[in-house]
Parts: sequence; structure tokens; C-alpha cells
Amino acid sequence: MEYNDFSPLHLDAIREVVNIGAGNAATALSEMLGKPVDMGVPDVELVSIYEVSEHFGPPEDFVAAVYTHGEGTFPCNLIFIQDEEAAQGMVDAMFISRMNTDGRDFPPEMRDSALSELGNIILSSFLNAVNRMIGSESISISVPGVAHDMLGAILEFVASIFAQSGELALLVNTTLKLDQEGTDIKGNIMMVPDPGALEILLSKLGVL
Amino acid sequence: MEKGQHVGMADTVLVKHPGKLVSLGLGSCIGLVLYDETAKVAAMAHIMLPESRKDKENPKPGKFADTAVPTLIDMVLRAGAKKERLKAKMAGGSQMFNVPGSKTGFLAVGTRNAEETEKNLKSAGIKLVASDTGGNKGRSVEFSTDDWILIVKTLGTGKQGI
Repeated sequence: MEYNDFSPLHLDAIREVVNIGAGNAATALSEMLGKPVDMGVPDVELVSIYEVSEHFGPPEDFVAAVYTHGEGTFPCNLIFIQDEEAAQGMVDAMFISRMNTDGRDFPPEMRDSALSELGNIILSSFLNAVNRMIGSESISISVPGVAHDMLGAILEFVASIFAQSGELALLVNTTLKLDQEGTDIKGNIMMVPDPGALEILLSKLGVL
Repeated sequence: MEKGQHVGMADTVLVKHPGKLVSLGLGSCIGLVLYDETAKVAAMAHIMLPESRKDKENPKPGKFADTAVPTLIDMVLRAGAKKERLKAKMAGGSQMFNVPGSKTGFLAVGTRNAEETEKNLKSAGIKLVASDTGGNKGRSVEFSTDDWILIVKTLGTGKQGI
């Protein structure tokens, strides 16, 4: 199945999956930080693979990203991506809630480890919800990888996964928002199925 | 980076002197330049994947290492370059995320992009005079026909010319 065969029904089904996954992730993040976390309405869109790296902003913007791969019935790549500043804000929030300090004096490795743990909690909660929905029992999730780099370089990786199958990328993206003393700290979850995996998801949902 | 002709994902772009080619935020992709200093012409490809699938239509030859190399050669020769004078420079092919067991499989696509590009240049008999590939950082590249230097920029460590 090529992505241009996807109907509005398929896209709605995927949006619903993301909605439930992100809801679960928002709850987990909120428990972790002891603060309310809002989530946005998920975007599900088909975009030319050649436009992916510029789709969300200037390719040289400095971002932080946490990556994990889920194996099982629905193998997929998950990325939690934020402006570098927002990522540092989220790490501060985690240290404040757990240790009563923003951890700004801590070594970068320790802050990175905290970021990786935040990403891990968000992404594994997302994936668990998706797998529960499709009745999958055996899932395993890779340890998270962290990158601090150019937005374009991270998104190129996403584009290359879709490029293996064709010319279109299905961009599935939802925003989590944390209210930190009046400043919003945002992050986005991107779900990037392995080639061929969306068909599995859609057929499990009974729309294919 | 200064203004120049932008080379987007899977694009191939040719410039004659004076000209500048720019590609921003290369991750696993490769920015490959072929040039002839005497004929004063250069072309850049922004390669996404190592190998094309022969059974599929390929609207963008710049997308794959094995189709980008012959396409760039063809472009510069048509613009007056001579095959024996052609030189190549490239940068990119990094692995943005390191997780255990990821040295093979899809996360390692950057490494395979670099290897395939090098292999295709070699079999076409083109000398790769400089390259900056691998690692885990994204790169922006800029190539000017003023000095035939490929400037590679990474976040945090700045610029270097190769």
C-alpha cells in the first residue's frame, strides 16, 4: 500500500491512535513532574518526503530529541522533539519536582540522563497505549537515544525512513504542553512507523 | 550561512562560476559536490539513501547514491567539464541517534550512504579529494566556486573548510 492510497478514514483512525497514545503520555509526564500537562489535537498529514526537513521550521534551529524504537506487532520509531531551550526547561522542572533544585549546576551528562528518562517515560507510555488498543501483548522498547542538533538533521532521519517506501511521508505529530510558572514548555511527539507497519496498525483497527 | 543556491533533499543543482551551493541540516544524508576548476563548474546532490530500487520509478535521481553520482557527472560534463579533471568532496552521513545494537539496521543509514557514495565515485573513476562523514552531529555545507572549498558547519563546534 502506498501512502497516496490512504483515505480520510485511515487518517482519522491514525489520529485517534495518536490521541490515545498522547493522552497516556501526558498523564505519565504530569505524574512525573507533579504538574498539569495539556495536549494539543494531533496533526496527521501526508507531506512530500522532500519537504519534511523544512516542514516544522528552519533546518538549522537548535533542538533536543529523544528517540526510541518499539518492537512487536506494530514496530515503530518514536521521537520526542523540543526546542533546546524547552528541553532544558523540562529538565529543570523534573529536578525541581524530584529534588527541589533546578539542577542548573549539574554536569551536562546528568541533565542529559534526565532528559532521556523524560523522553523514555513519554514515549513508552505512548507506545503502551497504542499497543493496548490493538491488543498486542508482547512489546519491547529500545533504550532511548538523545540528540542535541539541527532540526533539519533530525527530520532528515524521519524523511529517510519514509523514502524507503515511496515519495510521501505520513507526519503524525502532537504537542504536550507544561505550564511552568506562566511560561509554556512544549514538546512534540512524532510517530514514524517502520516501512510496512502502518498497514498492520490499520488492519488491527479494522479499517483496512 | 551566506546566500547561495539551495540544494534540498534529493535535489541535484549545477552552478557555473561565480556560484555557491548550500545544503542545510544534513543528518544521515550526504552533500556531494563534483567540480572542474578549469571549466569553472560545480554540481551538488543531497543524497538520502544508498541504493535505488530498480523496480520502482525514480523521479529524483539525487535521492540515491547509485543514481546521484552518474547524474552529477552528466550535469557537469554537459556544462563543459572534462571527466579526467573532475574532483569530488562530500560531507554528512551521520548517525543522529545512538542506541545499543544500532550499528546495523536503519539507524546506520548514514554510514551506508557514505560508503555507497564513495563506492560509486570510485567505480566512476572520480577522485574523492576531501570528505567529512560519520559521527553523530548534523552538518550544514556550503561550496563556492571562488575557492572550491567545502565549508562544513556543525552546531557547537563551528565551521571548517575541507
